[in-house]
Amino acid sequence: MSAWSYYISTLVIYFGIDILSGISLNLQYGYAGVVNLAFIVFQAAGAYVAAATSLGPDTGAASFQHYIFASNLPFPIPLVLATLAGGALAGVVGLFSLRRMRRDYQGAIMLIVSLIALQVVTADVSLFNGSNGLTGVPHPLSFIPVGPLAYQWVYAGWVFVFCVVVYMAVRWLSRSPWGRALKAMRDQEDAAGAIGLNITVLRLQVFVVGGLIAGLSGGLLVEYIGAWSPGAWGYAETFVIFTAIFVGGLGNYRGVVLGVLLVPVIFLQVTQFLPQFGYPGLVDSLEWVVIGLLFMLCLLVRPRGILPERKPVATEGGALPFTEPGPLPYLRRRAGRPVA
Amino acid sequence: MGTLASAVAFGVVLASVIAIAAMGFTIQFGLTNVLNLSYGGIMTVGGFAAYLVTSNGLSAWYGLVVGAAAGAIVTLVVGRGIFSAYAHRGAKVFEMMMVTLGLGLVIDYGLQAISHNNVYEFTVLQSAPIKLGPIILTPTQVIIVGIGLALYVGLEALLRMTKTGKALRAMAADPALARACGIRTRQIVVLTWLLSGALCGLAGVVYIINSQSVGYTSGELFLPLVIAAAILGGAGSPGGAVLASLLMGIVTQVVAAYGGSLYSTAAGFGVLVVVLLTRPSAVLTKQANEELTLA
Repeated sequence: MSAWSYYISTLVIYFGIDILSGISLNLQYGYAGVVNLAFIVFQAAGAYVAAATSLGPDTGAASFQHYIFASNLPFPIPLVLATLAGGALAGVVGLFSLRRMRRDYQGAIMLIVSLIALQVVTADVSLFNGSNGLTGVPHPLSFIPVGPLAYQWVYAGWVFVFCVVVYMAVRWLSRSPWGRALKAMRDQEDAAGAIGLNITVLRLQVFVVGGLIAGLSGGLLVEYIGAWSPGAWGYAETFVIFTAIFVGGLGNYRGVVLGVLLVPVIFLQVTQFLPQFGYPGLVDSLEWVVIGLLFMLCLLVRPRGILPERKPVATEGGALPFTEPGPLPYLRRRAGRPVA
Repeated sequence: MGTLASAVAFGVVLASVIAIAAMGFTIQFGLTNVLNLSYGGIMTVGGFAAYLVTSNGLSAWYGLVVGAAAGAIVTLVVGRGIFSAYAHRGAKVFEMMMVTLGLGLVIDYGLQAISHNNVYEFTVLQSAPIKLGPIILTPTQVIIVGIGLALYVGLEALLRMTKTGKALRAMAADPALARACGIRTRQIVVLTWLLSGALCGLAGVVYIINSQSVGYTSGELFLPLVIAAAILGGAGSPGGAVLASLLMGIVTQVVAAYGGSLYSTAAGFGVLVVVLLTRPSAVLTKQANEELTLA
């Protein structure tokens, strides 16, 4: 029984962390149309910073791992630093990569950023211990006197506190004038610029806010699993979260939660229970194949996701300034059939 | 001085590999507007096809032919079978790019499953190295540069001297106008898939000849350099792609030679970042041009 409880609490923790990732990407792409295929880099930045600032000093040649920012800061500070690291890195990357350009160019450049970061961190052992990564990150909530199983649930609760706070905050943000400005920018960039919105600043803002959330999710993740290495943040991980928000429904936070539940949690966990066949590792490879197929199928069959973005209620003046809302203003499926 | 000269020479060899891939990529991108992130996976398919041929005792020359054919066929199949399905449903460039990324995952990890996640050694017959002053290159490396040069000249000749080439250039410039002028755009798109796919497959073979091994990540790791070169050189311009490849290849190898081997690949991308910052017009295109032209 306790094995199941342990397993389910693990799933709940991953679910919470993936919700944070999904919210971050949905804010950036679903609301603002900013393509962040480097998402995982900002999560990794948070994870590394949280790990390095809680692991304690790097004791020189005797130590088996080397890292910068080595310090042993008390409980909530590493997490705060992780959040800030994600935001700061997003600010730096955003400064050169958020220029006005076609979305696919932007996506490709973000993907390149993701691969450069991975290569540099893997190759340079002095940064964060290279390909072996950091391990032995202490449990942040260990001051609470509970057993290991109860600790799992305490941590799950801790993650969900952040989920709820971030969920409410981001939903409030996206309903605010700022959020409407983001949607305007997404749907009609030129028109949004013409009514006086500063497109460059808006993009940078949403990129940094998303980076903060990504850094937070990375910090929470590493403080749970206790280790972090380049194997954990390939570009494919970003793709999983993208698949989740596309499946669930872009621009709809309930859709994001649903998508995260379906794709990274249920779908990727169910495969753990399949009988292993073939050589070891075959099932893992096929899992990625199916994720790719799932995304392609979703875009073909239900491009707006299971819970599509709600249409904005028409205001005075009748017609909306744009015909179809949503980041996928397409799908003229068959003539004569109104676009749902 | 000797270090610099040989670094530049190695840079030219690397640039030839990048250039072959980047020429195919830029033609595909320039004509169809599909930023194809599964290109790296298709390169690996070409590489594995060549590996199968040579491991059955045929020479690497046959490997090149088979790799090119494999690349062309796979590209045509995904282009006609998959990409056009999304284009017909009105997908825009970004959605198409995500589809190609998903397809890239399918191809990469499919190959991982088939190849049992092994890296296979791929060696071609080596003979005595050629010395040119301080520069020492293997004959294979010289042949790679030769292949790259021949493909570039051939491609330019095709584009500039034949009627098909003229149609290709017309379609890249303005698809609607090209169709109005009576160019059979559907056939041109098929030709584009075949041509760019063949270059992609060839690039995969040349890449594994140069790196002497083939694994499922071969193409994927190389793809960013190819995309960077294609973006830097300007979409649809083989000449630009070749120049950009030379720049990136030489920068990468020179940085590697002067101690920064950790950062050599990152330095290649650094070129792209610098260009983005200093000459953004190189990548800034009209927002309106987000239609796919798959016919």
